[in-house]
Amino acid sequence: MVAATAARPGAAEQTLVVDLRFPGEAGATPFTRADVVFTGVDHSGLSYEVRLFLNNPTATADTPRTAEHGYAGRFTIFGHGGCYGDEGHCDVPPATADPAGMRPPHPLTPQDTYVTVTDALLHVLADSGTLQTVTLVPVSITPRQADRKPAPELLSFSDVSLHTYLTATEADAE
Amino acid sequence: MGVRKNVATLSPGELTDLRDGFAAAYQLSDDRGYAFYAGLHGLPLPSYCQHGTSLFLPWHRAYLYFFENALTDALRGARDDQTASVSLPWWDWASAAAHADGLPAGYLADGNGADNPLAAGPVTLSNSDLQLVRENLPGAITDGPNPVTVRDPSPPDELPRQQTVNRALRSTTFQSFTMVLEGIHNGVHGWVGGAMSAVPISSYDPIFWAHHSMIDRLWYLWQISPLGADPPAALLDRALAPWPMTVRQTLDISTLGYDYAAQVIG
Repeated sequence: MVAATAARPGAAEQTLVVDLRFPGEAGATPFTRADVVFTGVDHSGLSYEVRLFLNNPTATADTPRTAEHGYAGRFTIFGHGGCYGDEGHCDVPPATADPAGMRPPHPLTPQDTYVTVTDALLHVLADSGTLQTVTLVPVSITPRQADRKPAPELLSFSDVSLHTYLTATEADAE
Repeated sequence: MGVRKNVATLSPGELTDLRDGFAAAYQLSDDRGYAFYAGLHGLPLPSYCQHGTSLFLPWHRAYLYFFENALTDALRGARDDQTASVSLPWWDWASAAAHADGLPAGYLADGNGADNPLAAGPVTLSNSDLQLVRENLPGAITDGPNPVTVRDPSPPDELPRQQTVNRALRSTTFQSFTMVLEGIHNGVHGWVGGAMSAVPISSYDPIFWAHHSMIDRLWYLWQISPLGADPPAALLDRALAPWPMTVRQTLDISTLGYDYAAQVIG
């Protein structure tokens, strides 16, 4: 697991490069599925997508989304587009410690998500033997197509990790 | 309510009923009308919608159920005909037709200049909310008084592919299914652009309901597949505010009085 604070700016400071390695210290383990898992993803602002590139730290929003460029997939966040309440309305309080608490989580509680990267990981392992980096390329999804652009300011998360599995069924591997 | 159909297969009469239902709902300014239902998703506050949680699918199923009933009520009132009814169609954005043409023809502005209630929806909000929407989300709604929703779609081939949908349908747990399907859903919101691209006002666009009917249909198809499974037991008795329903009460669509057309013959 890599904390978001350990990510470094990538090309033109419009991307984030995460040192996410495979095989790890435990050595190579077989897998039939691989997920890049994000926790604590912010969704309070504009909608945006995050494209993932493996072993391509110079990837940008203009990089072709092909296996040859390390493209592994993307996730899309459906954003709340700013705050519409009074001051403090969109401040997410800490999770309640009251075991009998009935109040639902704040609507802007950060989300968890994942991208299944099995084929892309197999591709880079066949190509270079190891996974060294995952580059995150955030692009805004504004109402107007013409306004969409690289948007590193929208991507905020807690940590990212690579999970590999030997799946029980063929369906699990999808 | 009855059978929800693919929007591409609606008869002229069914499309007219749908348009008349929306037009009638637009005219109602109370808690039977379009603004009321659209507003429950985002603006005006409070926002009730569920995203990024395991309640995403149940909450939106309940949302469609109550809105679909309201559409029929509005149509009956407008026509003074208690036998009139309307069902929400689904927009199959993974189909070959969608990948060629993009938005369904029934939801586009008519070429003859006549208003199509499905081409844009009125955004009935306070001046302060409208100002914030225009500041935060330029291009989402029209300028001036009485704004309506705007769209700015991406190229049709950027819509989700059937193989992506199939990947969701091969999920083996409810949690993985809902997470994958919600991700696909997010992408379609962004693909349509305009008002659909942001939570607070997306449900003011009439295409919202056809998009979510597709999402609900995919959940139904997964439910009846060999891989389908209920949400975790701890969720089943959770309330789905503001709807007087629990998660458990959304699981069987036959008890909600609607079905999805498996195929259309002829």
